[in-house]
Amino acid sequence: MNLYIKLALRYLSGRKLRTALTTLAILFGVLVIFGMNTFMPTFVQAFQTQMMAVAGQIDVTITHKTGEAFDPGVLEKVRQVEGVKVATGSLERLINLPADYFDHAPNLPDRVNAVLLKGIDPDLARQMIVFNVVEGRFLQPDDPSAAVITRSLAREVGVGVGDTLSLPTAIGIADLKIVGLLPERALPGNEEVLVTLAEAQRLLNMPGKINLIDINLDTLEEARRAEIQQRILTAVGDAYKIGALESGSEILTNIRNAQMIFNLMGFLALLMGGFIIFNTFRTIVAERRRDIGMLRALGANRATIRGLILTEGLIQGVVGTVAGLVFGYLFGWLLLQLIVPVGQQYLNIKVGLPAVSPSLVLVSSIMGIGVTVLAGLLPAQSAARVTPLEALRPSVGQVSLKRLTGFSFWSGVVLMVLGVAILISGQAAWLGIGAIFFVGALILMAPALINPIAVLFGNLLALLFARQGTAQLAEGNLSRQPGRATVTASTTMIAMAVVIMMASVLSSVTLTFIHVLEKSLGSDFLIMPPTVAVWGSNTGAAPELAQKLREIPGVELVSTLRFAGSQMNGVAVGLLGVDPRAYRQLDALSFSAGDPESAYRALENERAIIINGVLAAAAGIHLGDEITLLTPTGQQVYRVVGIATDYLNAKTTTGYISQQNLAVDFGRNEDVFYQVNLKSGADQAAVEAAITQLLKSYPQFKLFSGKRYVEENKRLLDVVLLSMYAMAAFLAIPSLIAMVNTLAIGVIERTREIGMLRAVGATRRQIRTVILSEALILSAIGTSFGILAGLYMGYMAVKAFEGMGFPMMYLFPASGILAAIAIGILFGALAATVPARQAARLNVVEALRYE
Amino acid sequence: MQPIVSTQDLTKVYGHGATAVHALRGINLAIQPGEFVAVMGPSGCGKSTLLHLIGGLDRPTSGKVMIEGEDLTRLNDDQVTALRRRKMGFVFQFFNLIPVLNALENAALPMILDGMRPNEAYQRAREWLERVGLGPRLTHRPSELSGGEQQRVAIARALASEPSIILADEPTGNLDSRASEEIAMLLRQISSEWGRTILLVTHDPRIAAYADRIVFLKDGQIVDETIMESRNGDEVSAVVGKMKEIGD
Amino acid sequence: MSVRNAILGLLSQRNRYGYELLQAFQAMAGGRETWDLKPAQIYTTLLRLKESGLIAEDETCSSELPEKRRYAITAAGREELKRWFETPVRVEPQRDEFFLKLMLALATGQADPRRLIYIQRASLFQELHRLSTLRMELDPSTSLAHILLLDQAVMHLEADLRWLDMIEARLEEVRKQPIPEPEHRPRGRPQKIAK
Repeated sequence: MNLYIKLALRYLSGRKLRTALTTLAILFGVLVIFGMNTFMPTFVQAFQTQMMAVAGQIDVTITHKTGEAFDPGVLEKVRQVEGVKVATGSLERLINLPADYFDHAPNLPDRVNAVLLKGIDPDLARQMIVFNVVEGRFLQPDDPSAAVITRSLAREVGVGVGDTLSLPTAIGIADLKIVGLLPERALPGNEEVLVTLAEAQRLLNMPGKINLIDINLDTLEEARRAEIQQRILTAVGDAYKIGALESGSEILTNIRNAQMIFNLMGFLALLMGGFIIFNTFRTIVAERRRDIGMLRALGANRATIRGLILTEGLIQGVVGTVAGLVFGYLFGWLLLQLIVPVGQQYLNIKVGLPAVSPSLVLVSSIMGIGVTVLAGLLPAQSAARVTPLEALRPSVGQVSLKRLTGFSFWSGVVLMVLGVAILISGQAAWLGIGAIFFVGALILMAPALINPIAVLFGNLLALLFARQGTAQLAEGNLSRQPGRATVTASTTMIAMAVVIMMASVLSSVTLTFIHVLEKSLGSDFLIMPPTVAVWGSNTGAAPELAQKLREIPGVELVSTLRFAGSQMNGVAVGLLGVDPRAYRQLDALSFSAGDPESAYRALENERAIIINGVLAAAAGIHLGDEITLLTPTGQQVYRVVGIATDYLNAKTTTGYISQQNLAVDFGRNEDVFYQVNLKSGADQAAVEAAITQLLKSYPQFKLFSGKRYVEENKRLLDVVLLSMYAMAAFLAIPSLIAMVNTLAIGVIERTREIGMLRAVGATRRQIRTVILSEALILSAIGTSFGILAGLYMGYMAVKAFEGMGFPMMYLFPASGILAAIAIGILFGALAATVPARQAARLNVVEALRYE
Repeated sequence: MQPIVSTQDLTKVYGHGATAVHALRGINLAIQPGEFVAVMGPSGCGKSTLLHLIGGLDRPTSGKVMIEGEDLTRLNDDQVTALRRRKMGFVFQFFNLIPVLNALENAALPMILDGMRPNEAYQRAREWLERVGLGPRLTHRPSELSGGEQQRVAIARALASEPSIILADEPTGNLDSRASEEIAMLLRQISSEWGRTILLVTHDPRIAAYADRIVFLKDGQIVDETIMESRNGDEVSAVVGKMKEIGD
Repeated sequence: MSVRNAILGLLSQRNRYGYELLQAFQAMAGGRETWDLKPAQIYTTLLRLKESGLIAEDETCSSELPEKRRYAITAAGREELKRWFETPVRVEPQRDEFFLKLMLALATGQADPRRLIYIQRASLFQELHRLSTLRMELDPSTSLAHILLLDQAVMHLEADLRWLDMIEARLEEVRKQPIPEPEHRPRGRPQKIAK
């Protein structure tokens, strides 16, 4: 076996725990990055497969860029394009079904979660697609309340020709008579329910609208087809695009956001791992100076030594990365399993195994191994500088450290000034670099600061252990070895910084979300569609329902949300139509810019829009800007009158406009979400009963008491926070253990000295106190630096969230600081316990002989 | 005959100005092939510094170190390292062995570092370990060996690469007197039976007495030199024979 | 004294002839080189022991020739042997010629004291080297007694070498101090001088 590998493996296995911990850090980073990225393509692929399947035998499909319905007049333009053989307009809409809609069995998983209601022109459609009716007949041009479904859907739902299929629609429950069956559906995607165009327009409350044009061309020749497509696009204008409706694009965006956050987490974990490895290797090099010197004396040149240390790093990197890939795959698979129900529910996507592309494996490996090797580079370099003489004379090299201390101190000061300047300037984009500067500054300044701080804490401890005179000894030990003390303290610092940062972010996020949650959903009753994450897939209800709700005695206010998709400079925007007056009364929006009063008034009186932070950040929009929204009828200019966020839409790019404008520009008037407030003194139970009764014909909606929903969401938030705390722990625990490790090494290295103390009459108790004091001083230094760094990083992270458009409120993590101090003391003491006991129990003679 | 090692006006100064310490002041020393030379002197006399300079572990302030006619002071770090690997075998007082490697691997280390095929290196290391009496302990780690045994491994390691000279720095400094005596005898054996050149630094007269020549160092200078007149082998065995006879 | 007690000890093992005693003594003491005992000395000692009643002649095989006489230890002899065992051996302070040489060199300035040290050291090392070489020839598994005896000599040499080192290190200090001179104290018979 190669000497490098053999030595590296032996050394690594000599310190199993340390090796495991450092490797774990790499593993975690690779896991997150790899896992997330195997999951994503699989999902997207499944998604696209569905799109392809929908396209079927049709040559070209035209939709509006916003995904909204448009006037059938466009169809004429298409038909006039030379080369178009047939063109037909249809109106289709995914109908999400409430749970247990067909099987009424809560225990069984629902096999049909959503169907695609498709209104077609029977004659024209048959010219394009061959509909093989296997039973009954096909639709006829004038065929009200008739539907054709596939045999597979019929079997799942348990109906046949002549039976009735009831679906929740915008105008309430619609009963459709099944007139014919098509062959079983072989392609992925949702089951379709075919009705006539007129019927679809009626059921979806979109009279005279279509949202899809299917076109067949008169040629199969590629070049000509492309040419014709181009002509079609020119004819219909740039508000339209070729391609099917992407009803799931919102969910895709959500997942993309999550992926980004996870990638960030993974990267952070990798950096963390890199730092831990860096520290471990610094310790390793310090520990093995004599071994290295010996190897040098025996004829190993600098390159060999560098190679040895790097090989150790490489092995850890490779093991960590490979394990990270394996666990990452499992992680991705697990995520897919979690997402499958969602996928089936909204998109009827059959999700396969996580996709592992060679390039992803390569990139993940390069990142994992690269970080490790990079982290090992500096220590390897310093190992290579160890002279053979150091195997024989331990005291060489102290002088150079002192000189270095001065240099690094001043570069640290410069970095610190830069970091603080960035913080004060408030430039969000620079905050990340500022944080790196800040941490770097602390690490650089640490060696020079160790002395005075050690003296300070030493004096403090001296007061505590006044009679034993051991604290001075501990302090002396530390200031004598600033290098080692720095390594230990900076490990602690990073650990603490992570804890404090997480505490800052999490407490701020919690505060913000609970605030927004209570504000947004603070009404007495909520009537909710199956999903609030993907508005576009919800089947709403026509305005009559809201009207009926208002008529219930005891109801004071009914505020509704309507939805339309749009686009702005290529950024997808979800538009929510609100009734400005009612919505103002609920005060559901938390404004971060603009005045609520004037904003709502503007919404009422003009083409005005309130956008949320995510949109503002994503599209770079400011208060008072005029933005151009793509509508089915062309482009419309809206003025931004406020930047505000509500709970439900905090994560997606969203704008709020008046329902009036939504109807005019986007032709949508179905309500998808209701908030109901009661008159004071109204009979809550009676109102609830009345609403429940009303909703019987609208099974797509669910009634919630506002309070209960908020509670439920808080619980949900708690779960999310808990998992985030788990993540934080995942990041912090390895570094805490690394800290224990370095502290322990510090003690082990001084075995001989301890033996001498014992020999000259120090009691076991005094020895324990010396070591405990030393560990406490170290962790105190690390903790105080860590708190500083953590506060900066936390503030930075909150700012970064704000920069991403979330309305963050910064909460000073007082409890986090207390926790960090407690953890610092606890781990400091813990780190000292084992070595202190060992040291105290040490046989004096053996200790003196220890080398 | 060309000496294995020769130094010319070798000087080493640590520090500058008022705090300067003159560890060596113009040492001229030549070691002939097959010689067993001990350097003695009180602590701080510069004897270890001399060994370090000859071993290329440290650089002289002035003067030359010639190893088989090659000037060590003119070589760069890698060249010195390579030279050390091929021409010198080291035995130190402490930390002689790499703790994570077993006796065999430790003994084979310089040869493997030199790029020899592992099988060959192990074969040679094994032969030498057997010669120094460690045949049964090849796979023991240093922590499982006694101090004397560790030093034997170090000696086998120094010998296995067939170096021109063996440099031993207080090899018995950490051993009890019995183990010290055994190591000293082993060094003597290496010199007389296997014809190796040895430079030994020690402060123990008993160990130094095994050498062919003793060089006395004081304050960084050679102050005296004694060449041992070995009684011829016949005489020695005659004495021993007589003693045995009496004993019976 | 020690020859007398050694004979008592050897006789306490078993009865022996005079010549046998001589050989046993030399083997035990480390050979003729270390302690060359003349036969005559043995016989005079035996005679004295017999007169003191510490040993007795073995009557069963008495002979006229002294080497053919066999001796046995008496009760008084055993008593004497026991006393010897229990008394520590007194080490006599060394009368060191080298020291004298060194002092004279210092006093007279006729020789370089440092040179004296080097010459003496070389000689001691030479002796040490000789003994070490000798020691290497011995097999520790059979001749340990001899090795230990050699070790005694080695260690004495070692001590002397250390002592030389110490003198060398402190030579300058000694030089600065006055050379020991006889005290000018009135001696002998002052009355005679007065006469």
